[in-house]
Amino acid sequence: MAEPILRIRQLKQHFKLGGGLFQKKNFVYAVDGVSFDLYPGETLGLVGESGCGKSTLGKTLLRLHEPTAGTIEFEGQDITHLGEKAMRRLRQDIQIIFQDPMESLNARHTIGMILEEPMMVHGIGTPAERRERAKALLERVGLPRDAVDRYPHEFSGGQRQRIGIARAISLKPKVIVCDESVSALDVSVQSQVLNLLLDLQQEMNLALIFIAHDLSVVRHVSDRVAVMYLGRVVELTDAHTIYSSPKHPYTQSLIDAIPIPDPRQRDRERIRLTGDVPSPINPPKGCHFAARCPRAMDRCVTEQPQLITLSEGHEAACFLNE
Amino acid sequence: MTDQAINQTAPAAKAKREFFSPLTLKKLRRFRAIRRGYVSFLILAGLLLFSLFAELFINNRALLVKYEGKLYFPTYSDVYVGTEFGLDYQYETNYRDLQAKFAAEGGDNFVIMPLVPWNAYEQDFIEGSFPPYPPSMEREHYLGTDAIGRDVLARLVYGFRVAMTFAITTVAVSMTIGVIFGCMMGYYGGWVDLVGQRLIEIMTVVPFLYIIMVVANILQPSVWVLALIYILFGWMASTWYMRSMTYKERARDYVMAAKSIGVSNRRIIISHILPNTMVMIVTMVPFFMVAAIGALTSLDYLGFGVKPPTPSLGELLKQGKAHLDSPWIVSSAIAATTLILVLVQFIGEAIREAFDPKRYTKYE
Repeated sequence: MAEPILRIRQLKQHFKLGGGLFQKKNFVYAVDGVSFDLYPGETLGLVGESGCGKSTLGKTLLRLHEPTAGTIEFEGQDITHLGEKAMRRLRQDIQIIFQDPMESLNARHTIGMILEEPMMVHGIGTPAERRERAKALLERVGLPRDAVDRYPHEFSGGQRQRIGIARAISLKPKVIVCDESVSALDVSVQSQVLNLLLDLQQEMNLALIFIAHDLSVVRHVSDRVAVMYLGRVVELTDAHTIYSSPKHPYTQSLIDAIPIPDPRQRDRERIRLTGDVPSPINPPKGCHFAARCPRAMDRCVTEQPQLITLSEGHEAACFLNE
Repeated sequence: MTDQAINQTAPAAKAKREFFSPLTLKKLRRFRAIRRGYVSFLILAGLLLFSLFAELFINNRALLVKYEGKLYFPTYSDVYVGTEFGLDYQYETNYRDLQAKFAAEGGDNFVIMPLVPWNAYEQDFIEGSFPPYPPSMEREHYLGTDAIGRDVLARLVYGFRVAMTFAITTVAVSMTIGVIFGCMMGYYGGWVDLVGQRLIEIMTVVPFLYIIMVVANILQPSVWVLALIYILFGWMASTWYMRSMTYKERARDYVMAAKSIGVSNRRIIISHILPNTMVMIVTMVPFFMVAAIGALTSLDYLGFGVKPPTPSLGELLKQGKAHLDSPWIVSSAIAATTLILVLVQFIGEAIREAFDPKRYTKYE
């Protein structure tokens, strides 16, 4: 396989919670030792329930949060502790598309200002060129060119997300993190926006990190899928294998939970998870999933399973596979 | 119109469009629709404009003097001494007497006096009686005089000007401090925020009134010294608001988006956060002004305000209270003070309603 464009090793993102001079400090272990590689042009799906740290992981990759530990390498260069100036240059190559386009587009800026800002910040082109490029970008994402003088609130949710995409591709990045980018849209608009993303990926050879909680969407777009549970990756493999032969009980239960549009299968055996995700403030010592796992053993409570390679490109963190 | 002319006007139209965002325009339109606030705004703006040119309406200098074929405009000119107009004294001409004299002579010469031919400092004494004098059309003291014979109307109008100057200056300066300092605290957080918070807490517990009393005892403060003290102890409120607003905005996705693009902190604050937080500050301006006018008036009333001859509403109130048997003083002082405060309050309420974020934020 080619050289990875992004290499994440043991990335940790802990947030301090309160704690005074004489008080014990608490941490939220939002991301707790995540490692994976991202190759040029591929889509890596990142799934997990809400609160499992997938969005935090996405933002940490862009250094929107300062990582607590671990390394982020971009094209072989360690960017974990890169200075602000150097990082700013690098931001051209890694972009993010947020979940709620109304929140991520400044309501007081015109679409033109929103799209021209990245170019302005990086000193690309003259004002006239930037404006022309903004119009071209709008056209590329399927919006009228005269939208440049309008404001975000004049557009529908799907259109706003297209604007978010236009902004993300305006600097011709190599990696885009899509943080639940279609979750807020209704289904028909979702597929349009997804197809636009996939077209752009082909066209620009983009590597996408696709964060979602909807497994069916992830299956549709991803080459590989990483399943996260409480700050850790529990299984990572290609999109086909994860649906056909999941090796981690959590993944199995997730796959089982995908509704099947067939009333005759209503009574099939399913793994039903009970209980809630443990608190990320004081996570359990052993396997994070142990408390809800239908096949938990004694050692799951005391020992932490590591990601082990089961076959070429298939990793899972569960003692059952040993 | 030629094509070229059209092309030239186009960018101008665009620039106008970009100055106020449509959201702001909507709010302004809504403000205009709230009649009470809008009318109050017009009246107050009119009064303010009037008070800026008060010398033309309420003054002991003539508007226009014609003397032996020559025209004089003494309002904004140097002092004309009495000999200039054929009088026998070397100090400033008394234009009221001059007017009477010219009228008696019946010649070509004439004097046009302002509506109220008294200024705020001049004392009028009627032989055989003592001030305060009641309102009199004949002597052109339309609201009477105060305890030492100064025209009440003149003192009210000039006092209003002083109060508004004080309010606008202090609010503008403390807002500026608040915006800059509050933004920094909210945006950078960490020790900047921590130090700022403690500083504000310390400043807030310093008893403002005692400081003013001490200063007023050491030096008779001018309006500007008073304004300075007021700013020194008044910048915390707006800073506190700005801090919490910025703190809230900073966590929103559009700021994250700007960061991910590589926008500098300075630009994020100025171009992204400020336009979203300024609205809150604008809604508070009228209420801060009410507070400032109230503070100045009460300080004057207590005798710790601006130094004596300066016309002031509070000082007039104090005189009114001392001379309750001359009700024209206290009634006009109370009426004027109430009118000003009510007008500003109405404006404030209208702005607050028009700018209510709940009306414009859609949660989808």
